[in-house]
Amino acid sequence: MQRNERILYALLTLLITALAVTGIMLEGPFQVVRQTLSLQTESARLINDFTRYGVGTAMFNAATVGALCLILVFYATVSLSGPTLSAILTVMGFSFFGNTLLNCIPLITGVWLASKMAHKTFGSYSLIALFGTALGPLVTHLMFHIGLPLGLSIPLGLVSGLAAGFILPAVAGSMLALHQGYNLYNVGFSCGFIGLFAANLLIATKKMQSLSIEWGTSFSLPLFLLVPLFSLILLVTSLVVEKPRKTLQGFLAIQKLSGRLPYDFFDTGHYGGTLANIGLLGLLYWAYVLAVGSPINGPVIGGIFTIMAFGGFGKTVKNTLPVLAGVVLSTLLFSKNLNAPGPLLAALFSTTLAPIAGQFGIIAGILAGAVHLIMVEVTASWHGGLDLYNNGFAGGLTASLFIAILQWYKTNRPEEDFTT
Amino acid sequence: MKRKEFLGRLIGEVTNFLLEGNPLRLVVSLHQEPDGAHISFFDDRPRTEEEIARIYQALNPKQSRPELAEYYGLMAGHDMAWDARLKLIGWQIKHASVENSDSGLRIDLWLGSDAFNPENFTLHKKK
Repeated sequence: MQRNERILYALLTLLITALAVTGIMLEGPFQVVRQTLSLQTESARLINDFTRYGVGTAMFNAATVGALCLILVFYATVSLSGPTLSAILTVMGFSFFGNTLLNCIPLITGVWLASKMAHKTFGSYSLIALFGTALGPLVTHLMFHIGLPLGLSIPLGLVSGLAAGFILPAVAGSMLALHQGYNLYNVGFSCGFIGLFAANLLIATKKMQSLSIEWGTSFSLPLFLLVPLFSLILLVTSLVVEKPRKTLQGFLAIQKLSGRLPYDFFDTGHYGGTLANIGLLGLLYWAYVLAVGSPINGPVIGGIFTIMAFGGFGKTVKNTLPVLAGVVLSTLLFSKNLNAPGPLLAALFSTTLAPIAGQFGIIAGILAGAVHLIMVEVTASWHGGLDLYNNGFAGGLTASLFIAILQWYKTNRPEEDFTT
Repeated sequence: MKRKEFLGRLIGEVTNFLLEGNPLRLVVSLHQEPDGAHISFFDDRPRTEEEIARIYQALNPKQSRPELAEYYGLMAGHDMAWDARLKLIGWQIKHASVENSDSGLRIDLWLGSDAFNPENFTLHKKK
């Protein structure tokens, strides 16, 4: 294992340990374990803020899921770099409002079965397995919330999770072709597609309740400080591992990248610059949340963690800002509140479309962000909140539309035709 | 079928890259064996040393990336409208060599199973 990879392992281990220890300190060891066990039976469909069950519980839950992901990456013998870091941090973020060990494991096992069937290593499908936990609510909703006896519903949830995980590599591969890598949350797009079928099946059998928003509004100092502290640690690390001047040069070089999938920023040789990019993204979007007057709760932490997650794999300060601007403009145009759950989460997660701004410029990014808000407000109801990466689903649709138009325009250039 | 699709993706992406240079001549040569394959590409546009180094680097990544190869590698050869991305190929092959031939650029891709023996291939041998 190389030095840079060891540093990433150390940083993630520090984060996971800090979350677990803080969780235990906040609620006590017995209470936090009891509450985390109780959390496993939550439906977890969008939007279910786990911090409402206790900030310590949500933190401890994120630590357990993060530890599972880190162990999987280690034993799958894939390098801990931009892509795997993005997957682990994203899943940890969503463990503040949806992912639990119970609803992750069947999906990961399903992807593992698919890898065995295709004669691939699990490492080959490791990103799909980790991001595939977006369908976690499908597992726990079927297990505990459809009114069947547990003897029937628990196996049903398990089998459904395995089946969804099993087909995910096939679906995720096909979905990439639609948006050509311009939607960073491609597995979220794929999970939304699968979620459509699952939700409609549940609706047909009258086993799907309407969506509700469980949104914590109380202040918690540990939650408030989580993002800035982790961001500062990343920034300090970026200045320690490389000379500050080199880190700055690396950071500026990364801002020039489009971010189109798959772009591992750590592969560019700008290690310190990439860490600085992740840290600054965290601070920037944390400041945005405070500026619009939103509480720092589970979903918000999930949103900021996801932005930071992709700070090494597609998102830069430069390519995310136009998309954010698009969402803000669209929010104001339709007279919505910037700090309402929908527009706020759209502002954070819309950065899935950052490669559009990175490749085609600021105007395209603003347009993509504006269209994204319109889409994301309705797509959760399409899949019944079963896909945690709802913005990945909406972003995939938006990116596919943009890319289809741009592709048509690009392939119809008369000046490059053969002369007659 | 699996082999056909894989080769098609690799050929598509490298061809996309070479066509971006608007060559007047482009030749693709494929040689298959049961345990591997060798694909050669020739065009009539010589490149600078810097360009050759960049192409070589993209096709020969420093470390194996199975998590990217099997998933994002599926995008190779599918999007002729956009810039070619040779790194999508680099993750999926055993080795690539890049050099200026007599007329232009020459890229050789070597791919195959662990039993693959490049000695079975004679096309590129230089005296």
